[in-house]
Amino acid sequence: MLVTLPALGQQTGNMLIRNATVLTITKGTQANTDVLIKDGKIAQVGKSLTAPTGYTVQDATGMFVMPGIIDAHSHQGIDAINEWTAPVTAEVAVGDAINPFDVALYRALAGGVTTIHAMHGSANAIGGQCQTLKLRYGVLEPEALRMQGAPRTIKFALGENPTRVHGGGNNIVPRTRMGVEFVMREAFSKAKAYAAAVDTYTKAKTQKGFRGAPPEYNYRLETLAEILKGNIIIHCHSYRADEIYMMLQVCKDFGIKKIVFQHVNEGFKVAPELAAYGAMASVFADWWAYKFEVYYSTAYNAAILTRNGVTTSINSDDPELMRHLYHEAGKTQKYGALSDDEALALITLNPAKQLGIDHRVGSIEVGKDADLVIFQNHPLSVYGVPQVTIVDGVVRFDRTKDADDMRLAVDPNEPVEAVELQQRDHDSCLEGLDGAFDTIFGLN
Amino acid sequence: MKTPFVAARLSLALVWLLIAGPLLAQEERELLPVTGTYAITPVTIIQSPGRSIDKGTVIVKDGLIKAVGKNIPVPPEAIVLKGDSLYVYAGFIDGLSHVGVNKPNNENRDRVKDPGNPPPDRAGIAPQTDVRNFLNPTDKAVEELRAVGFTTAHVVPHGGMLPGTGALVWLGGRSADDMVLQSQTSFFSTLATADRVYPVTVIGVIAKWRELYRQAAQAKAYATTYASARNGLKPASTDRVLEAFYPVIDKKMPVLFQAEKALDLHRVLDLQKGLGFPLVVAEVKEGWDVAPKLKAANAKVFLSLQLPEEKKEEKKDEPLKSMSAQEKEALDKRKAEFAAKYTGQAAAFQKAGVPFGFSALQVKAGDIRGNLRKMIKAGLTEDQALAALTTTPAQLLGVSDLLGSVDAGKVANLVVTRKPYFDEKSVVHYVFVNGILYKMDLGAAKKEAAKVALEGEWTVTSETPQGKSEALLTIKKEGTQLTGTVSADFLPQPVTLDTLTYEGNVLKFSFVMNQDGRNIKVEVEAKVEGSTFKGEATLDGGDKLPVQGQQKPKP
Repeated sequence: MLVTLPALGQQTGNMLIRNATVLTITKGTQANTDVLIKDGKIAQVGKSLTAPTGYTVQDATGMFVMPGIIDAHSHQGIDAINEWTAPVTAEVAVGDAINPFDVALYRALAGGVTTIHAMHGSANAIGGQCQTLKLRYGVLEPEALRMQGAPRTIKFALGENPTRVHGGGNNIVPRTRMGVEFVMREAFSKAKAYAAAVDTYTKAKTQKGFRGAPPEYNYRLETLAEILKGNIIIHCHSYRADEIYMMLQVCKDFGIKKIVFQHVNEGFKVAPELAAYGAMASVFADWWAYKFEVYYSTAYNAAILTRNGVTTSINSDDPELMRHLYHEAGKTQKYGALSDDEALALITLNPAKQLGIDHRVGSIEVGKDADLVIFQNHPLSVYGVPQVTIVDGVVRFDRTKDADDMRLAVDPNEPVEAVELQQRDHDSCLEGLDGAFDTIFGLN
Repeated sequence: MKTPFVAARLSLALVWLLIAGPLLAQEERELLPVTGTYAITPVTIIQSPGRSIDKGTVIVKDGLIKAVGKNIPVPPEAIVLKGDSLYVYAGFIDGLSHVGVNKPNNENRDRVKDPGNPPPDRAGIAPQTDVRNFLNPTDKAVEELRAVGFTTAHVVPHGGMLPGTGALVWLGGRSADDMVLQSQTSFFSTLATADRVYPVTVIGVIAKWRELYRQAAQAKAYATTYASARNGLKPASTDRVLEAFYPVIDKKMPVLFQAEKALDLHRVLDLQKGLGFPLVVAEVKEGWDVAPKLKAANAKVFLSLQLPEEKKEEKKDEPLKSMSAQEKEALDKRKAEFAAKYTGQAAAFQKAGVPFGFSALQVKAGDIRGNLRKMIKAGLTEDQALAALTTTPAQLLGVSDLLGSVDAGKVANLVVTRKPYFDEKSVVHYVFVNGILYKMDLGAAKKEAAKVALEGEWTVTSETPQGKSEALLTIKKEGTQLTGTVSADFLPQPVTLDTLTYEGNVLKFSFVMNQDGRNIKVEVEAKVEGSTFKGEATLDGGDKLPVQGQQKPKP
């Protein structure tokens, strides 16, 4: 069979999608509607549009078009997840290890996903910086996956993971939940002092005849100071309500406004507090009990948070779950009776808000990036199946041209990988720590 | 008073007394050649790719190429190497390897208390290390690489993300310093992660790299301020790690990154883009799509001489068993498609107009010529391959005035072969390194090895003024496996050899003998010629003694 990959290097496209039921998320559902894409952007949404010459025309009669799905919590498309060695590693960034060859990205496209938040792991209280990626699978250049202009984000983690790795494994702070809070407050205090010292030095340097040593460059504190300045959004791995509330207090004390809680299984207990602070929540639809702190959970979590006015998304944290996030969103209609638009917003507009990219993606509006999925049957129906996935106007997945082997790079020396799609016996947040198993569990 | 050291020496001497009696030093002196002048004539001279002389003469004198051409008079003092049907090339240059570089054996593997804050050396950070401290001209790899025509190598220390600075060395020489052409030639770096300490991921390595560079730039700037007027200022940093960056920051020394995979190259280029240091990438294996980007970054390139191994069919891979034949065929086709990209990498770089040399970091010396032929089959011309072995690396390393072609005035680094080098049946006959002639007698050695039957009894002696010490070595062949025992008057019972190998015409064996409750390891290495051998025994890795063997006539 001939392997057909999207034209390599092509970044934006022109296209007309004809006669679809368009689920705009922000402007309702529009039947028998066309979407015109020019240079990778949505140029027009309306009836009986004509395609200028040179545009590809995609007939979508009887089909549904929705905005590309956004996964606010993933670990795909990157080669390194956990710099677990220290409780604070703010300076590392998964964006330095983007892997455009990861075939999981193509599988995600087959599930209608067009943007993911590739995250650092949760081994550290303050982990590394995350990276928002556009799934332009087919490009060979790591940089081409990076969503240019997306705000910087960083992973924080509360609870069992950081206390187990550092306190339990290495006998250093934090060993307890109190310790985690201390680590964060200490880190921010140091960053504040560092930023002040840098400011003082920078100002003094402009004075005539100034002589003196600069504060030693510190990449970690430099990064933390950017959080304090509001230039980096915190995405905080969390489960228990008491800790979530603690973290809100830490943010408040340091003047940090941009925070999104990840997992947030007990978010339903502190939903009003989250809403009042403007904090957001990215949750699982119905996954829990994989460790002690994740037992008190409910499938109504997303609905309760939504009804309380918390901007909520549903994420995967997993390469398999990532391929059917529309099912996960649909569960909120069974558990919580959310409307179609509310349910779909959980995997489109809301994660876009959490990543600070909602002006670009997350809904079908003129001027936004043409990241779209064409579904056979309604995406919230169990019969919904993605047919074509479009990123910036370029078709990156087409069910009719889905060859058996879509790998972009093949190692001639490797035996063929055994594909395991179902591998969820733990959360992926601690990936990369296999080598540190004894460290975590204190076996030596 | 006896120090423990002296005591140890004495007891060792006592042991040897039992075997051989005290010795007068009877070293085998390496004699200097009677003359430093050689003439190779009449010979086909490939001066550089595309430039050759038929039936010409090359005169080597005192380490340099004295004259090259036709009808050149042979000086009377010259040793004449008859060149009929031979070809002479400039010695090859290896862009990156550890050849002749000892691995430090004092690696500290104690558990670090705080893995987030390890000492720099544990994190693989030792850029202040100079490869000259680890050079070893007797490393077997030097001889092996020389045997395929390499005469110069850019060598770097072993290590993690920042192992130290490299040097350009001759593949030959009597001492470490004797090997060095230029030192401090590159600031070697890899994306290797540390072992269970920060940085344990590639993102940690990159972050640490950036931080160190920026700290060094800052420290360097402050050092200048401080040096101009020290009074009233905090003393400038003398951190060895940061100081090692200074020539890089001044763009006086390039950063040489080992970057094998496509993603390594992208990561390194990204790091370079942000910091702006001059860049060399080496041991590149998957660069075919990255060539234009390397060109744009003005990076110098050394491609790996290693290629993916051709897997033999019917290797039992579990997942393949259950696959349908059609599926297997499709997967094999894709593997073959990519294997061709690795083999065609050099041709792709040539096509992209990116100059490149080769590096021998990971390739087995014995595979080099076969791999070059594969690359040529995949589209590289022989001249282009030769350029990548000679003129281009000389340029990339800034030594084209000294190396890379057979021209008068250049260093006498030469490869002399029977049949053109890239011919499958070509044999390397002579290699000149820095004017010193190495005769490759591989064919003869092989014949010798085939002829000699080691099985039987050998009388092993050490000649000393006190007389001979004698032992009996018995070698048996079981299947293809050689085994042996040693017996002697001074051994209470025969000792079984721990190891016994015979390769080329070199016999090696070792055993442990117990003397006064102390175990002493004896390692013997000797050259076999017919029914005799001559070599050296090493005691506990220290003292060396000459030994000889004579095979007893078979009954």
